Amino acid sequence: MKLPRKKFEANIPSVAMGDIAFLLLIFFVILARAQNDDHIPWQPANAEDLTQAPATAATVTIDTDFKLHLNGRPISTGELAGALGAILADRPAGGRTVHLKVDREATAPTFEPIIEAVSLAGGEIVHILEPESEPQ
Amino acid sequence: MKIQRRPLLVEPPASAATDIAFILMIFFLVCASVQPGTGREQTIPRSEEDEERSPQNRNIEVSLAPGAVVVDGEPVPTHRLGRKLESLLAGKLADEDRIVIVKSSPRTQYQHWVDVTAIIEKAGGIITLQLEETETISVD
Repeated sequence: MKLPRKKFEANIPSVAMGDIAFLLLIFFVILARAQNDDHIPWQPANAEDLTQAPATAATVTIDTDFKLHLNGRPISTGELAGALGAILADRPAGGRTVHLKVDREATAPTFEPIIEAVSLAGGEIVHILEPESEPQ
Repeated sequence: MKIQRRPLLVEPPASAATDIAFILMIFFLVCASVQPGTGREQTIPRSEEDEERSPQNRNIEVSLAPGAVVVDGEPVPTHRLGRKLESLLAGKLADEDRIVIVKSSPRTQYQHWVDVTAIIEKAGGIITLQLEETETISVD
């Protein structure tokens, strides 16, 4: 007598797909957050005749405590030119934009060596500034 | 015969909830995406050491101190700086002649520096920074 085999049906629950997608999304959000510098406090300087800043290869920030950050991570002034050089190495002209976010109260001995280092690394400097507010 | 009534409340399929959450999340992510912001491009030539300059090829020197601007040793109010620089740069067509050396005192703030460099660039000058040399001497 031939015994009929019991068939096992293995279905992937479709509900789990949403959960997987959700977790993947959280993973990429955290990854993007690590390279973001939104958490660094700084007060932009004001200026007139500003244009929309082009996409950046790197962001250099001097925060309210006059501490230096490259792409959201603390770095020393001496290391900046080398680190930027590594980031900009293979990029063609026009794609070497470096956003410079300097706190408006930072003094010359803090920001001038940074500008010099970006220039030395071959970066195309874009000062991130805020448009001057209209007088009320 | 008893007619069976259809239930009025129909529960939506649970599998759709995650899809809705996913799409909502993408929507909020796109909304929260960082805008590049506004800014100003600036080209600063690389500094070269031991640069020999002939007296004829003397560049304009702008010294900055908190609230003050000095052009070639002469104090100039900020609102007159543009006209002063335009007159000094008039007739200078070559890039090397339009170089303006910016020298900042240690207490010069970034806001003041941005204001003055904007005026220099608007007047047709090419900014070059003159940094103060710092030297560390170790004493045994």
